[in-house]
Amino acid sequence: MITAADETEFLSVQHLSKSFVNRQRTVHAVTDVSFQVRRGELMGLLGPNGAGKTTIIKSILGLVKPDAGTITIDNVDAKANPKYVSQKVAAVLEGARNVYWRLSTWENIAFFAGLHGLSVSKHKDYFEYLLEVLKLQDQRHTPVRNLSAGYKQKVAVACALAKRTPLVFLDEPTLGLDVQAGYDLREALRRLQQEEGRTMVVSSHDMHFVQNICSRVVIVSGGRIITDKSVQDLLSLFQKRVYRITIARPDGIAMDRLADDVRQRFPQATFAFQGDTLEVSIHLDHPTDLYDLFDILRAAQATVNGINQTEVDLETAFLKILKGEDTLCG
Amino acid sequence: MWLIVLRAVWRKSALTWLSYWLNGLTGIVNYYIIFALLFFGAKSIGAGAPHLGNSLDTLFASYVAWMLAMAGCYDLAWNVMDEASTGTLEQLFLSPVGYKWVAFSTEMFNFLSTAVTVAIVVVSLVVTTGQTIHLDVLNVLPPMLAIYLQAVGLGFAIAGLALIQKRVQYPIQVVQFILAAFVLMPSTMFTWAKYLPLSMGKDMLQEVLMEGKSFWHLGSGSIVVVTAITALYMVVGLGCFSLAESAAKRRGLLGHY
Repeated sequence: MITAADETEFLSVQHLSKSFVNRQRTVHAVTDVSFQVRRGELMGLLGPNGAGKTTIIKSILGLVKPDAGTITIDNVDAKANPKYVSQKVAAVLEGARNVYWRLSTWENIAFFAGLHGLSVSKHKDYFEYLLEVLKLQDQRHTPVRNLSAGYKQKVAVACALAKRTPLVFLDEPTLGLDVQAGYDLREALRRLQQEEGRTMVVSSHDMHFVQNICSRVVIVSGGRIITDKSVQDLLSLFQKRVYRITIARPDGIAMDRLADDVRQRFPQATFAFQGDTLEVSIHLDHPTDLYDLFDILRAAQATVNGINQTEVDLETAFLKILKGEDTLCG
Repeated sequence: MWLIVLRAVWRKSALTWLSYWLNGLTGIVNYYIIFALLFFGAKSIGAGAPHLGNSLDTLFASYVAWMLAMAGCYDLAWNVMDEASTGTLEQLFLSPVGYKWVAFSTEMFNFLSTAVTVAIVVVSLVVTTGQTIHLDVLNVLPPMLAIYLQAVGLGFAIAGLALIQKRVQYPIQVVQFILAAFVLMPSTMFTWAKYLPLSMGKDMLQEVLMEGKSFWHLGSGSIVVVTAITALYMVVGLGCFSLAESAAKRRGLLGHY
């Protein structure tokens, strides 16, 4: 059993490209995308709507034919061996819509596992384990149509995991879930990943979810990869540069003029007056910019009450990367 | 693996069938009413005609063949549209045995459930019309299966169209009239007609069901020809479906609705 990602490459995507022709207009959904996922890794695939995430996933699954590029799973070429590849992958593609609402939780699990050649008689214990991890035991015999959105989503995830494939894709697994259901699903995936060491690729708009379970993220925009980094590296990239400075407001200092001076040098700075203090939030492109800021403050004879590095979450980092701000970082 | 998939599909089909039992019951009543109207209508129009008995036999056998053809042909295309609209179609394509085997397994279950429906309708019709039939399962099943599989072959071709276009409910309604034409085409009168789908199978079914002949004594030549025709339409249907599947994957339409 693998409990953490090892160094072996399990999924490799090289120079993947795909265009669609829509009403005589060519849409380049994915352009020259390359990335690898290590065995046992839990990777996030992020991007705004229409970035190409689903096309990438469906190309790997064989549901979309790429125009160019190679995909290998466990060193086997996906195009040349589609049957082998389909034995290795499972996916949740449309969340709760991926299951039969007329059937019960257990009937769905039995059916989708059966589609992958897994019989209930041989794998019953594992299906029970999935019900326990995903907290679905009490919903075992309930028709899916009678379950809440959160439970439906968990049934879809259970059906994908029940196939016992080494590689699992989860496309928007938290779509429509409330905070508690999202938390439950996150904990369940974390536990399953730790206990089974499966390789998982999660595509989601829920940055909090991705930040908490993924070790690495690939960010795509406009069909191209713009970042491929570990979550920790991504956060520290921005964490080093964002400061919040609190300035006292003694009489005689023209705060408006100070703000103008700061804004002239740092156009992205934001200001918030709070009682007798002014709070300046500032993103520094280079570490030495801090000296420039202090020069401005000294010239204005402002008293600095405090200086803090701002905590950056994945969502902030993601938005900054989409704006191209990561290229400014040293 | 293939058998496990077959078993999973049959189990799910049975559960779904039970879940929609009212639909099955309505289907039986509809088929019964339509045939009763056809039968008594034909009887009143042709009263006193010398070959009315033969015509009613043909009508009876043709109707059974049409029921089978409708089930075999429509179910596949309907499933593709239904699964695409509910969001489960792509999951079926992810099965290592391929969608075609999943669909074929579903159709085999559908054949059995249709055979039960046909048996109920036929027995009810016999009671109502007083028509004599020879319901020997071992003799009746082979021509029924031939008709059904030929229809499934056509169904694969239409399902391929549904993969790309999805909303084909209205165009495929025309197909029921084409199926009726194939069924009513007498292969004994026109040699070329037996190479059309359904026609020869229906004539064999009429000989077995209405005239009480043994299927296995209809002649080895006829059995070989009907088997070859069945294989031909299955291969053509699967070929069309493969082309459509490839086009749908190229255009990214598999899961769209």
